[in-house]
Amino acid sequence: MAQEMIEGVNPTRMELLKLKQREKLAVKGYSLLKEKRNALIMEFFNILERVKGSRENVAEKLQEAYQDLTAAQIVMGDLAVKKAAMSVTESVDVDIDSRSVMGVVVPLIESETAQRTIVERGYGFMDTSVKLDEAAKKFEESIQLIIELGEIEKTIMLLAGEIESTKRRVNALEHIIIPRLENTVKYIEMRLEEMERENFVRLKMIKKTMEETEVANG
Amino acid sequence: MKSKIAVMADPDTVTGFMLGGIKDGFPIENMEEAGEKLKELRKEYSIIITTEKIGDYYRATIDKMSSEGALPMIIEIPDKTGSIDRESDPIRELIKRVIGVEMVE
Repeated sequence: MAQEMIEGVNPTRMELLKLKQREKLAVKGYSLLKEKRNALIMEFFNILERVKGSRENVAEKLQEAYQDLTAAQIVMGDLAVKKAAMSVTESVDVDIDSRSVMGVVVPLIESETAQRTIVERGYGFMDTSVKLDEAAKKFEESIQLIIELGEIEKTIMLLAGEIESTKRRVNALEHIIIPRLENTVKYIEMRLEEMERENFVRLKMIKKTMEETEVANG
Repeated sequence: MKSKIAVMADPDTVTGFMLGGIKDGFPIENMEEAGEKLKELRKEYSIIITTEKIGDYYRATIDKMSSEGALPMIIEIPDKTGSIDRESDPIRELIKRVIGVEMVE
């Protein structure tokens, strides 16, 4: 295996200490990030349970609602339906809070769609059809589902983005940065040892020559 | 935090949602005005319901807005002609990319 390492380092003790420090930090960061990634993925799976089929539910409910709306439009006329719709009172009450999952801010919606009776909706009965009541009821239900779906999808999107970037960082640390640091540390250690051995041999040689000259002189 | 919901869609859908109790409806007659409207609405409303058709037309803008932060929440729903058949569900694509395997049926 080609040993990747950091270019242009001096094989000195100072550099070695610095590199060891950096390696320690990288390993620590790696384990923290890995934990973060695991926690995010766990959260992601929890939310996946909820997303199953919720889009289909919304589509189905809306389809029914549209059918009733069209029926109402046929019976009463376009304009009359619009007029009735204008006079409907506000029904949805939404509170958006946010919670933080490992530093990702995801929305937390508390919505209250009042299930209202026909009287409370606020349009008159004289010129409206039963179909209109049904359409209104189904739209109310749909709105509830849509808001829920929105929360889930948004959370998934945000979590997915964070998971991706965390994954990339974990991988970069695991496969590139840490091995590179390790290799560089190894390289410097080997160079230092080699220098020590050279020095040792040199000393031996000097000692030998000194002894030889002493014997020759003495 | 008190939040407001807006519906930005074709006139019939808006009528429907008004009937359901969302008072802030913005009927869109042609696609060109939708983009401008969307920019206005995102400042004021925290949930914007729109149709898949408009969503597809302004895909890039909407994706950018959604990825920027938690709010506004832009939700795309099918209009009365039914939902658009997509080859791949964007959410499912996302899950596949993140987890690496297909998860949702």
